[in-house]
Amino acid sequence: MRRALPIIICFGFGFFMLIQFFVPHPSFVSSYESVLDWMQIIYVFTLLVGVANYVKINTKKISQTQSGWGYNLVALAGLFVMVVLGFWKGTRENTPFLWLFNNLQIPMQSTMFSLLAFFVASAAYRGFRARTKEATILLITAALVMLGRVPIGNMIHSAIPDSANWILNVPSMAARRGILIGIGLGTISTSLRIILGIERTYLGKE
Amino acid sequence: MSFAENIKNLNRRVIFVLIALSVVIPLIFKIGLPSKVTKEVKQVYQEIETLEQGSPVLVSFDHEASSLPEIKPMADAILRHCFSKDLKVLGLALLAEGTAIGDEIMREVAKEYEKEYGKDYVFLGFRPQYMAAILGMGEDIHRVFPQDYKGNSTVELAMTKELRNYEDIPLIISVADGDMPTYWINFANARYHKRIVIAVTAVMATSFYPFLNSGQLAGLVGGLKGAAEYEILIQKPGMGGKGMDAQSMAHLMILVLVILGNITFFMGKKKT
Repeated sequence: MRRALPIIICFGFGFFMLIQFFVPHPSFVSSYESVLDWMQIIYVFTLLVGVANYVKINTKKISQTQSGWGYNLVALAGLFVMVVLGFWKGTRENTPFLWLFNNLQIPMQSTMFSLLAFFVASAAYRGFRARTKEATILLITAALVMLGRVPIGNMIHSAIPDSANWILNVPSMAARRGILIGIGLGTISTSLRIILGIERTYLGKE
Repeated sequence: MSFAENIKNLNRRVIFVLIALSVVIPLIFKIGLPSKVTKEVKQVYQEIETLEQGSPVLVSFDHEASSLPEIKPMADAILRHCFSKDLKVLGLALLAEGTAIGDEIMREVAKEYEKEYGKDYVFLGFRPQYMAAILGMGEDIHRVFPQDYKGNSTVELAMTKELRNYEDIPLIISVADGDMPTYWINFANARYHKRIVIAVTAVMATSFYPFLNSGQLAGLVGGLKGAAEYEILIQKPGMGGKGMDAQSMAHLMILVLVILGNITFFMGKKKT
């Protein structure tokens, strides 16, 4: 029963969401809206599970003074400080929560993201070599797209942005479409397997 | 040690300094490289331009804090266009981090154009489970967002009381740094036939070209370059234009480094 009940619920809701698309009857529309509300409610509970797990893992590392436990302490302090400030003074303009978000979280995350440029440059210098015919094609393509996507490419030669657009609109798009169609078919087959109870890995181990 | 060996064993700190300089110098001393407006950016401009005065547009801030330097110039330019056309802007966020950012960007630009909250623009805030939120708004916006970000009832606010679902909103704009526009396409476009334009980070832009070509997207602003082009169209210079000089130099520097790396590679190969 522990496994049968979730499979029956999954089949019921999966089948309902599939057929409601084709049935505009008010009772179907109303039930559909209720399902959407419940999706959001259940999702909020999964967030709580995530927070509980985060606290558990970090607390364990701190209590056992594992290597780098100081970082876990900072992570936990960050969580609690933001939660307390959010509940205490709110999250909108002129609040300590927003001040910390604007002056700590945004700069820190932007810094991490911008570091990519430095590592990409270093990796490209060391690894981007025209060793084979395929690598040479990749190198020329990358150079054209990199130059074509910035104004300096047009200044060097007007054909560069046109070539970059052709690469993006023809070979790159063809590959993307292939991937998208593959993903679409995969999603349909996996969804059907889950609705029909063939795919049961989401239920966990026996 | 020969010149070739010196180049081959270039310390990566030197590369980091070169990249930093190629970004910082153009930001301080403006070069003013001219940008050419691309078709996809012009399509976004046209979509907004053809809307009647007072029409509502939905702007969804579907991004995280890390991409703010790229997202903000795009969002600023699009919102400036919307407010200058006297459109009514309905903002929301489908990623938690986009909430505070979206609220702040909307307030800043609305202030520039002396727009009134509740009448000319409203920020609804964040809703979790983006699929349910997108689908839910197709049926009833007030049910998904009974209150706005400030806690006002959306049934009572002058602007939102008239908006029931997507039928009352002619255009949806997703400002994103991930694949969230895919969900807008899958649900708001495919199910509710809504016109959608997107403003996404440059790294994500290529993922959406197939949707643009198929007509599922009505326009696309891609990264800092897209922001710079949009600023040209609305004739309001901003961070997009400034950033393009830096981005141009950084791209050029990476290419110079790749060429140098290949020269030393072939020189070494010749010797052996």
